[in-house]
Amino acid sequence: MPQLDFDIITLGHGSGGILTNKLLETGVFELLKNPLLDEHHDGAIFELSGRLAFSTDSFVISPVFFPGGNIGELAVNGTVNDLAMCGAVPKYLSLSFILEEGLTMKEFWEILVSIKFTAEHAGVQIVTGDTKVVERGKGDRIFINTSGIGQVHEKAQISTKRVQTGDKIIVSGHIATHGIAIMSVREGLEFETEIVSDTAHLNHTIKALLDEYGAEIHLLKDPTRGGVASVLNEIVRDTRLGINISQKSIPVLEEVYGACELLGLDPLYVANEGVFIAFVSAEIADDFVKKLQKLEHGQHAAVIGEVTTEHPKQVILQSQIGGRRVVNMLVGEQLPRIC
Amino acid sequence: MENGSFAHSQNTFSLRFSGLVQGIGFRPFVYQIAIQQQLKGQVSNDTDGVCVLLTTNEENALKFLKRLIDSPPTLAKITKYSIEKIAYQYFESFNIVESPTAHSGSRLMLTPDFSLCANCRQELHNTINRRYRYPFITCTQCGPRYSIQRILPYDRPTTTMQAFKMCPACEREYNHPADRRFYSQTNSCPECGVQLRLFKSDGKVVHTMGQLNDSQWILARISWELKQGKIIAVKGIGGYLLLCDATNEATVLTLRKRKHRPSKPLAVLYPTLERLREDAYISTQEAEALQSVVAPIVLVRSKKSERFSTFWKFGEAVNPNLNHLGVMLPYSPLLELIAKDFGKPLVATSGNFSGSPIIFKDDQAQSELGQVADFILTDNHEIVVPQDDSVIRFSEKYGQKIVIRRSRGLAPNGPLSHKNTEITPTSKNETTLAFGASLKSTFGLKTIDNLYLSQYLGDLEDFETQENFKHTLNHFLQLFQAKPTQLLTDAHKGYFSTQLAQELGKSESIPVIKTQHHAAHFAAVLAENELLETTETVLGVIWDGTGYGTDGQIWGGEYLLFNPPLYQTEGLSFLSKSMARVNHFEYFDAFLGDKMPREPRLSAFSLLKEFPEYWGLVSQKFNEKEWDLYTRLLQKNTLKTSSVGRIFDGVASLLGLLDKNHYEGEAALRLEELAGYYFNSHGYSFAEHYFQNRPFPKTIPTHELIKGVVQDILKDKPKDWIAAKFHFSLIKAVEIMANELNTKKIAFSGGVFQNAVLVDLMIENMGKTHELFFHQELPPNDECIAFGQLMLVENRKRVEHREVVFENYI
Ligand SMILES: [Fe+3]
Ligand SMILES: [Mg+2]
Ligand SMILES: [Zn+2]
Ligand SMILES: [Zn+2]
Repeated sequence: MPQLDFDIITLGHGSGGILTNKLLETGVFELLKNPLLDEHHDGAIFELSGRLAFSTDSFVISPVFFPGGNIGELAVNGTVNDLAMCGAVPKYLSLSFILEEGLTMKEFWEILVSIKFTAEHAGVQIVTGDTKVVERGKGDRIFINTSGIGQVHEKAQISTKRVQTGDKIIVSGHIATHGIAIMSVREGLEFETEIVSDTAHLNHTIKALLDEYGAEIHLLKDPTRGGVASVLNEIVRDTRLGINISQKSIPVLEEVYGACELLGLDPLYVANEGVFIAFVSAEIADDFVKKLQKLEHGQHAAVIGEVTTEHPKQVILQSQIGGRRVVNMLVGEQLPRIC
Repeated sequence: MENGSFAHSQNTFSLRFSGLVQGIGFRPFVYQIAIQQQLKGQVSNDTDGVCVLLTTNEENALKFLKRLIDSPPTLAKITKYSIEKIAYQYFESFNIVESPTAHSGSRLMLTPDFSLCANCRQELHNTINRRYRYPFITCTQCGPRYSIQRILPYDRPTTTMQAFKMCPACEREYNHPADRRFYSQTNSCPECGVQLRLFKSDGKVVHTMGQLNDSQWILARISWELKQGKIIAVKGIGGYLLLCDATNEATVLTLRKRKHRPSKPLAVLYPTLERLREDAYISTQEAEALQSVVAPIVLVRSKKSERFSTFWKFGEAVNPNLNHLGVMLPYSPLLELIAKDFGKPLVATSGNFSGSPIIFKDDQAQSELGQVADFILTDNHEIVVPQDDSVIRFSEKYGQKIVIRRSRGLAPNGPLSHKNTEITPTSKNETTLAFGASLKSTFGLKTIDNLYLSQYLGDLEDFETQENFKHTLNHFLQLFQAKPTQLLTDAHKGYFSTQLAQELGKSESIPVIKTQHHAAHFAAVLAENELLETTETVLGVIWDGTGYGTDGQIWGGEYLLFNPPLYQTEGLSFLSKSMARVNHFEYFDAFLGDKMPREPRLSAFSLLKEFPEYWGLVSQKFNEKEWDLYTRLLQKNTLKTSSVGRIFDGVASLLGLLDKNHYEGEAALRLEELAGYYFNSHGYSFAEHYFQNRPFPKTIPTHELIKGVVQDILKDKPKDWIAAKFHFSLIKAVEIMANELNTKKIAFSGGVFQNAVLVDLMIENMGKTHELFFHQELPPNDECIAFGQLMLVENRKRVEHREVVFENYI
């Protein structure tokens, strides 16, 4: 951490004056240093050609620090993953902070450091940004927005329209881990082995898969908020096809499953970071999974189901004890239904 | 027809009868009377019912009509009739003529399936009868109807009997006016009829010996396999049943394991009433019900606790931890033969996996029931509409009938106690479709002239149930060629039924109207008791597990007023026209979604939230991790409930009966049995209760009630006494409220009123001072919601001009 004559963020740091300058110069810019950022211009100027992907995401999370990561990593990974889901190789990110008065410089620095290393590892450059400070009580310590631009892989043809009957649905790893990690901190839950968020950037893995399978990959999705259930429901709604998934093939960590039981939650609805869903043509599905299992973040990849023309617009779960359950879109809060 | 001299001249009269008039021998009956009275003309079925043409004088025509109205065929229910003079037609004689083709709109009631009649049962066992041991014997008084009907009107070609051509012998019966199978559409015999087929669980046909004719050999084999402890899937009237020896514990446990049904009670099929009486107490009413044309499963009190009964040998696997037992007698000839051949009680449970609907298609039976059954006994007669067995019970002391599940034999007509004839006629072509609730789904359809209510369709979270819901719904719409003009749903957005209605409404541009759950319960019980017409004030005591309230909370301990007196309307929240919520059980926390109704210990904890001094009573029901977590969740929880269902759960858990339900309603059932045990040995009068005798504060003091229960537990009072006192307190919670509001008429609905002890206790204590109204033909649980939704619309029409109402809900 650099030597600064303040250890708490105050309104002055957002005023645009000397304090702001100090914070940015000795803090943000110094740490995130790269040629484009060094320009200190109102925006970044660069050259890119071909098909581009552009995405944005805002990060609001409590707690800001959680087992396995913090909001900074999440902010980089989130947008990097959104770009990767478009079949793109992420290139440049913007980074904006809304800081709440009272955030300690130590916490802010820790977040910045995470951002730096995550971005470096993901191979993206942070080229422009913004910092605002809001009054105490008007925010929740720190909000982050990132936007990103990526170059679409030449072999990629990712689109919901390409999802077709017979496609296999693959998840890249254990689901619900991130959501439960966050919740266990929030609810003060303790487990024999700590549940750690699996937040990760998936762009390298995705690139390797695109290199190999290209157009055989029909759709990639990032089942964040609302979990796997919500993503699958969006797809059946848009394609008017149906989806069958099988409960026993869905990878869930045992302790995560236990936590879900305890909280009366269905892992299918719990948020993920660092997990993606792929819809691929049936012919390559097995190879795809084998390849994925050898790649970073893909060891636990599995085929969880397939696309069907039966029951259009519905996601059906084959339960472990026989019987098939409808996996609905989540409607507001989970109200009890049993009479 | 007022001209007296004219009365003797010959004219043609058209007589029309609507209601339950098809498939019950109405036309042959008309024929007989016409012949007796030497009248000429014809009779036919049409989509409105039965049409009789008579060419005679007015006096004779009226005499004929009177005869028919005064004593119609036993199974008939005439809801409407008319007579009019039409253009003269000449008739040579009197004849039954073919039905004209269907047209849209109908006044017909659908004929339910009827159990084996006494005459057919006698023939079935008569060695010299040509239908001796024919498993599909029927007549005009018995056999499948609704389950095999494809379109209207009811006639052989419109049913799945179309596939079977009658042999000359059957044809002769069919055409012979004096025969009891005259015009019997399901007529068949071993020569021309339905064939049994037996498969192994792997789908291979079990080969026949060639000695006996096939079906006799198959039946002998079934009996033998049952004795070996095998499980047989048998195709019945409404779908496949799973049968096995109820006295063979190992077999019953195997069935439970394969069916994924660890402890929910299983129904038992007894060969005879006499055999049944050895194992259970059977009242006159119960015996009548078991032997009626409906032949439902009846919940009866077993002799399990008595060592001298033979029951104790097998009871525990069949109905663990319970004393009541669901029993039935053979209602189809096939079950009659199997049960009598076997001679001992058989478990008879619907062929499905828990949560899914009964399987009725042969291919599905092969692919899925093979995992549960060792053999599959099927036939070549197609089922169109799947139905479970209906379930009813009677309260022990006052014999109040309580329908628990309304299906085979009872569906699909609207409740007969509700006057179909008096449904407000509409000038518009109004067709209303009500989508009911969720866990015990049903739907209701009201056309201009009639009202139909689907059979119990089950839990809509299940995919197969949803499919069956849609299948049955489409079947109805097709049958009546109905095009709904408005759709009714529950206000709960998460119900599949609500979502389905919204989709349909959107795609077909039909308005969707939401209704409040407890208002629908109330309207249902009011309509069943013909109280929608009254201008008097009626108190509705609507207690159930879960219903979405207008304040966004989970209701379930509600007091509603119908026609609240004007001076009392101030500050009331109206849920519907002339229907307001006046009070409710004090809110407590609803947390952890559907986990709370599954785990009564969570209700216990929630109810004790405000009494940390008593937490010791519940904390041992949780491990440390759970306890820490739930304590925290409870502190910051915001969703509230007034559910009496959850109070039952909580009390059952506090009394140590159980902490987790194995099936829906288990805790309440166990608590009821415990109280019943007390009342049966001490009588139904009780003095103490958990409320003070004073007007209630703003709400019914839930916490006072719970505190009382806890204090008695800590004083080591006998559990059955506490259970009894809890039940009696609920009676007080009605009485105090009724006195406060000064209402004499009280109607009860909601799943809590499946509790027969509570009903008896209510009648015992309030029956003399108040007029009590219970459901009659509909279950008090959510199966009545679809009907209630329809009745809310009826009620709105009736009172439109009278009152200002709450507008968000109908
Ligand atoms: Fe209800
Ligand atoms: Mg995102
Ligand atoms: Zn008969
Ligand atoms: Zn025949």
